[in-house]
Amino acid sequence: MDSSSTHLFAARPGPARRAESAVAWIFRIATYLILACGLFVFADIIWKGAPTVLRSFALTESFPYVTNTFLFEAPETLHVFTYEGEKRELGDTAYRAFREAEIAKAAAAGQPAPRFTPTSYVYAAGGIWPCIVGTVLLVVGSMFIALSLGVASAIYLSEYARDTAFVRFIRLAILNLAGVPSIVFGLFGFAMFVLFFKWNVSLLAGWFTLAFMVLPVVITASEEALKSVPKGFREGSLALGATKWQTIRKNVLPYALPGILTSSILGIARVAGETAPIMFTAAYVVRDKLPWEVEKVGDFFFQGVMALPYHIYVVSSKIPQNDYTQRVQYGTAFVFLGIVALIAASSIILRNKLRGRYKW
Amino acid sequence: MPPASHTPPAPAPSFAIQKERTRFLGLTLDECIQGFFGGNAVVAVIVLGLITLFLFREGSSFFRQNQDNLSIYRQAGLEYVDFIRTQEESHTALTRYLSDLRLRALRHHMDADGLAVADANARLASFDEFAGRFSDAVEPIRGLRSELGDVAVAIKTRHINNLNRIQQRAQLVAAGKPDEAAAVELETIDFAGEIVALTATLPLYEEASGAFATALNEIVATPPPLPTLELTARVARFQELTADYVATFPATIEAMRAWDHTAPVAFSESFTAFIFGREWLTASFWQDWYGVLPLFTGSLLVSMIALTLAVPLGVGAAIYVNQLATPAEQRAIKPTIEFISAIPSVVLGFFGIAVLGEFLRVASGWEWLAWFPGFPFAERLNALTAGCLLGLIAVPTIFTLAEDAINNVPRAFKEASYALGATRLQTIVRIIVPAALSGIISAVLLGLGRVIGETMVVLLCAGNRIAIPDFTAGLSVITQPVHTMTGIIAQEMGEVVPGSIHYRALFVVGLLLFFIALLINFVAQKIVRRYKISVG
Repeated sequence: MDSSSTHLFAARPGPARRAESAVAWIFRIATYLILACGLFVFADIIWKGAPTVLRSFALTESFPYVTNTFLFEAPETLHVFTYEGEKRELGDTAYRAFREAEIAKAAAAGQPAPRFTPTSYVYAAGGIWPCIVGTVLLVVGSMFIALSLGVASAIYLSEYARDTAFVRFIRLAILNLAGVPSIVFGLFGFAMFVLFFKWNVSLLAGWFTLAFMVLPVVITASEEALKSVPKGFREGSLALGATKWQTIRKNVLPYALPGILTSSILGIARVAGETAPIMFTAAYVVRDKLPWEVEKVGDFFFQGVMALPYHIYVVSSKIPQNDYTQRVQYGTAFVFLGIVALIAASSIILRNKLRGRYKW
Repeated sequence: MPPASHTPPAPAPSFAIQKERTRFLGLTLDECIQGFFGGNAVVAVIVLGLITLFLFREGSSFFRQNQDNLSIYRQAGLEYVDFIRTQEESHTALTRYLSDLRLRALRHHMDADGLAVADANARLASFDEFAGRFSDAVEPIRGLRSELGDVAVAIKTRHINNLNRIQQRAQLVAAGKPDEAAAVELETIDFAGEIVALTATLPLYEEASGAFATALNEIVATPPPLPTLELTARVARFQELTADYVATFPATIEAMRAWDHTAPVAFSESFTAFIFGREWLTASFWQDWYGVLPLFTGSLLVSMIALTLAVPLGVGAAIYVNQLATPAEQRAIKPTIEFISAIPSVVLGFFGIAVLGEFLRVASGWEWLAWFPGFPFAERLNALTAGCLLGLIAVPTIFTLAEDAINNVPRAFKEASYALGATRLQTIVRIIVPAALSGIISAVLLGLGRVIGETMVVLLCAGNRIAIPDFTAGLSVITQPVHTMTGIIAQEMGEVVPGSIHYRALFVVGLLLFFIALLINFVAQKIVRRYKISVG
């Protein structure tokens, strides 16, 4: 028997009840629509991009005997042509070798040299190794700068600075700068590092531009993490005779570290994902050599690099959309999305793990 | 007798730190550490200050350069020729009206009368003859404009070449090569003398303009017959429009007569030409215009589309997750939405090009979606495509902040409402949402800030056509291709010469974005602080 219908305060069916459940359903649909859209983007890119990577495994002669031609090779031009009634798609190096061989064969047989009329698609063959390397270099360098400067500033602001009008103004300025569009940071980096300091389009200019872009985020988040450590921890330590620095080192930083770590990982995701700031400060459309294959050590810092986000921009806007180019377009997007998602997911998981750890 | 045992009093135990503090340059270790952290903070602040400084430094001289740009436009007589050009362009607009009319008539013949294309075209022979005469009437004016335009461009080119030589000479002098500097020939351009070649043609133009007016009046006096009443009404409207157009001729002549190439261009004009300029035209053989309005309206249009999608979804989801969802749902949904926010914008832009743009174009052709404004459309990349993707970018921001705001509503509010017998729906709509409204509004504002500063999606998907969207088209404006402030910087910054007026113009656009972002942040913070709930 249904006991709830007899209960005085139980919800009874009626127009109000129906309206309530209708509204709840509308909200529910809105929520799941967002999730569906977001996950569809993920699914589409994984579905069409993963085969590029998975099909590119190849065996090699030397250790480690297996490689991935998409992940570990440089981009090449793709040539599509019909030769002796057979359709071929070859990367630039293979195409040249093939043409030389065929011409030599024809010459040996005393026939006229065969004609090749390929349709070419730039960057559509080969892989994205230089872009992965460039992105990793950009992220590591800029996060090193941003974290050392940002965490130290946050320690000062939260532990040492008195609450003066000036400090409040600094906080406000930092908070506001966090909302400035990334392209504006790109403009700033271009004007200051590329032109004024004459670093040209270089890894160094990219490091500083990206570092300054995330600096406000790192400072704000680190300060928040430091502030959330209870005052009693500091007072207790100071009362026992520890110096200020000892207090911070032993009693504040260890407890604030999880928060700082989370925020910095989010910063990494942001740095890795942004394209606009590096478009004219650090990114080359194409660079034949890897960043460390340089004549002078200085060239490592003063030359641009290829970067995954910029490569996606180039391959999606500068070459046509068709079956031949889809491989590299989706493949690059897949690898990039994978890297960024991995970073973001680790930050979210880490935070959820550490959230319940310290209770005070 | 000496005291038996006189022990000296034991020294009082000292709690003071015995060890001398290590000092570097007169500072204790702690002071050094404090100095280190303080120094870092100072560096950070200086850096953040530098951003503003450099944007201003690069952008500030734009307005002076634009003033020069506009004065050359006037001095070389390009402005004078543009009077005639405007007249010509209005005529072109009228011819477009005629072609639209022809299309309607043709459709009528084919659909209502069931004629084949060739027959329908034959029916419109008299109309074609009429339209042909109408569009040919402008020829004398066009010829005159083209001749005068050549003269004006020649003056401008000479002036600019001369400026370049002056610069070259200054550089040589600075490099300590006075002889070579002296060898650079300069010329003094007698604008007054040169401009006479233009202004002297005024009587010629007056004559041509008069003949043009007579010709137009004559042509439109005998309109061709058209099949339906509706089309005949349109012809009458066309006659009216032409009459209005002809009526503007004397004013044009008056303006040309009053035109003075020596009239100074005020500094404020350079400013208004940027803020209210309706054209962004660069690397043109005629005249470069740096008007931010097309870019600003484009940014605004795309952002509005994005917010229209994102605000209901984001706020709805925030209410659902905080108030209605089960704990298991909450645990799953919140990280997922955060995860969505991690999708890099360039990937979304690529998705727009590869999937969404094509999908929307196909969808716009479906019968049952024909009611949607602007459907069907042919351009794959337009404001709608970009707006949808930007909506997906704004949703996580709005969701997270709005959910926070709702979460911060004191529990007592909810409990009191239930205690008074309100239903769950009443509590949400009347109590919780109003209490969290300030937070929700600031969430929406920050979402707007996120969207308006987004670059890659609009650069890849908005269509990049530099023109003010045609708002007269009503809601179907959303399917037009647009260009945006962020997009133009990303697109053109790599190609400009540093220090040129174009380069500086892009910095001023950047400054504008900077201030818009600051304003949005400021307002959002103000709203939160102003309407903070205080319980007590």
